[in-house]
Amino acid sequence: MKLTLVLLLPFVAYLGWLIWALVAYPVPLSYNLRSLWQRKLSSLSTAAAIALVVGIFVVVLSLAQGLSQAFVSSGRADQAIVLRPNARFELNSSIERDRMRILKVHPLLKRDENGPMASAEVVVVKLFPMADGSDTNVTVRGLETEGIVMRPQVRLLQGRWFRPGLSEVVVPRKMQGRFQGMELGRSLRMGSRNWEIVGTFDAGGASYESEVWSDANDVMQAFRRESYSSMLARLETPQRLEAFVEAVDGDKRLKLEVVGETAYFKELTKAGDPIKILGNLITLILTGAAIFAAMNTMYAAVAGRTKEIGTLRALGFRQREILASFQWESIFLCVTGGIVGSGLALFANGIQTGTTSFETFSDVSFAFTITPGLMAQGVAFSLVMGLLGGFLPAWRASRIPLTEAMKGG
Amino acid sequence: MRWLALIWKSLMRSKRRTLLIVGSLVLSVFTVAVLQSLLTTLNAVTDNPNSSNRLVVRHKSGLTQMLPRAYEAYLRQQPEVETVCALQWFGGYYQDPRNFFANFASDEATLFETFREEFGTAGITEAQMKEYIRDGAGCIVGESLAKKNGWKVGDVVPLTGTIFPINPRLTIRLIFKSPKPSDENVLHFHTKLLEEGVPRMKGLVGSFWVRAHRPEDIPRFLERVDRHYANSAYETLTETENSFNLAFVKMLGNIGAIIQGITAAVVVAILIVTGNTMATAIRERTTEIAVFRAMGFSAGRVLSLLLAEGVLLVGVGGLLGVLLANLAANAVRGTLGAAMPFFADFAIQPATAMACMAGALGIGVLATFIPAYAATRRPITEGLRAVG
Repeated sequence: MKLTLVLLLPFVAYLGWLIWALVAYPVPLSYNLRSLWQRKLSSLSTAAAIALVVGIFVVVLSLAQGLSQAFVSSGRADQAIVLRPNARFELNSSIERDRMRILKVHPLLKRDENGPMASAEVVVVKLFPMADGSDTNVTVRGLETEGIVMRPQVRLLQGRWFRPGLSEVVVPRKMQGRFQGMELGRSLRMGSRNWEIVGTFDAGGASYESEVWSDANDVMQAFRRESYSSMLARLETPQRLEAFVEAVDGDKRLKLEVVGETAYFKELTKAGDPIKILGNLITLILTGAAIFAAMNTMYAAVAGRTKEIGTLRALGFRQREILASFQWESIFLCVTGGIVGSGLALFANGIQTGTTSFETFSDVSFAFTITPGLMAQGVAFSLVMGLLGGFLPAWRASRIPLTEAMKGG
Repeated sequence: MRWLALIWKSLMRSKRRTLLIVGSLVLSVFTVAVLQSLLTTLNAVTDNPNSSNRLVVRHKSGLTQMLPRAYEAYLRQQPEVETVCALQWFGGYYQDPRNFFANFASDEATLFETFREEFGTAGITEAQMKEYIRDGAGCIVGESLAKKNGWKVGDVVPLTGTIFPINPRLTIRLIFKSPKPSDENVLHFHTKLLEEGVPRMKGLVGSFWVRAHRPEDIPRFLERVDRHYANSAYETLTETENSFNLAFVKMLGNIGAIIQGITAAVVVAILIVTGNTMATAIRERTTEIAVFRAMGFSAGRVLSLLLAEGVLLVGVGGLLGVLLANLAANAVRGTLGAAMPFFADFAIQPATAMACMAGALGIGVLATFIPAYAATRRPITEGLRAVG
């Protein structure tokens, strides 16, 4: 972080000077903008190439962000997940019924009108047919009523919640388009049983939007599981978490492990890392290519206007004014491309996609979300391209000797 | 030959411009070559000729559900079947949970037969195999995995179970070499160890890997097995090994569409940028071209000279880009290959390199043609008068 700041400093200082120059000097800016317009084809093609690169940048960024969001927005600081030691993830974990009985009445748990706030849950993975005909692994979570209350970000959109013992499921709204037969009232086939879809829900982008929910005991019976996977626990305050971790850790009857819910989901977010790294590499390399292209255009622009620059100098414009004005020309060129590119990225907005988290071994649905913030990043990115690509040509323009410029054909 | 000299001279007219455009091309072609190779490497996983004889029988509900060991007897009875090996993903780690590699509990007696190609059986002696089969707490590991962790035959490897609550201590009995580097990133140990250590695994296995005598027999066999166990307590899903692997590749999501999208965008961008550069280069030489024409060069000859210039420019850029991508692929294989099995096979295939070059040359022709054609159509007199 510090390193990026140090690296950014010269940029920011230079940009500051440029802005100051805009106010302080009578920079021949309108002249520069008009000459961009004069070389329409050349300007347009450079801007278009930059627009494409910025478009890729914004889309890749939104992909990585959508993926991180799916996990990070899931955790609460005052909640914890109890797992078998070394299991690391719910899917790997198992907790027998007798241990669960001890755990569920743990004195450190927060209580509401229904008793201690804890939900014994079972997580299995089941192949579901997707809309395109192929199958993918989907997490099926069996939980207790308290488990729904403990996840306030989850909202029922249609129908009602499942009732225990009736083989009913609720499905996330997001899965409906991507998977076959997920409509309300249809039935799903799981563990040699038909399960009626009685409701749909939304979890504000959290990873629960990739899970099918039902009653814990129903799921355990259907999948022939004798043990739960994990327990979600709410504590009085986030500060109690540590005490709970120690209490469970020290209890010889349990031999279980407690992980804070926030930490748990943070670990899961790492599923998006390869895509993020790849995306960053691609954009970095393509940025290099775009800067070269911008530089080429600007050099050509400068070379073609030697005489004009000479005239400007003869009129009394100083070298640094020429530098600033040509730098602005390049920035304007690139930022135009950047704005168009960010706009192009909007076409990807809302496209639903999914990937598999190899940690949970199941599908994670997420959408490309092009936020204004990401678009601003895209434009800022094009500004950097304009700065880098335009600096050398603008420098050259400002150093052209007056006599030569006047001579130049 | 003298044409080449002329073309070279034209390119060197503005060294900086040529350098910048080549730099831009190199980076773009590099990106495309790497991305496309990523895709072909992924696809190769699902189109592996070594696995054409094998198929996988697993629980219909997915990989986390087990099948009864008793199914093995039925599978063995089928006339198409050569051998059957039960395999269970153990998911353990060595020292650090981040240190991922595949580890399985498998049937030691049939393992080598079933995965003949992967084990490169030629290099393994009968005595070594017996040594592993005899030692119930033994394990075998691939060479690259052993190298990475500094293991030797006879070393004890403590694995920490994530899915199963046991931490077996395994003695390495054999280190094998595989024709494909990605197949070496694996550890196998005896299935009995898992069954005895974990009560709920008693009489259950994760999946059966079946080797058929002939690939032609597989379709009939697939259908028969699934029909046989339909509506039973443990329904099966039988598929070829390649389609089983395909499911894993698909799990990454629609990577293919994303890569193709980026490739298309990059191609369009290079086309525009190259076109722009060539247009500038040609505009600069309006007078020169008119002089050429006046000297008696036909319009076609001038056009072909200009086209050759564009193609040479892009050809150099493309070639450097592909070479760079190849270097990068080698580096990736050496570093990431040890951590992620998929990258161990990562390479720029000749077909991908050729496609990139062909694409680049096509772009060169396309991008140069329009400005070059316009330049040669210009009346000579007008060109001579133009101030270049």
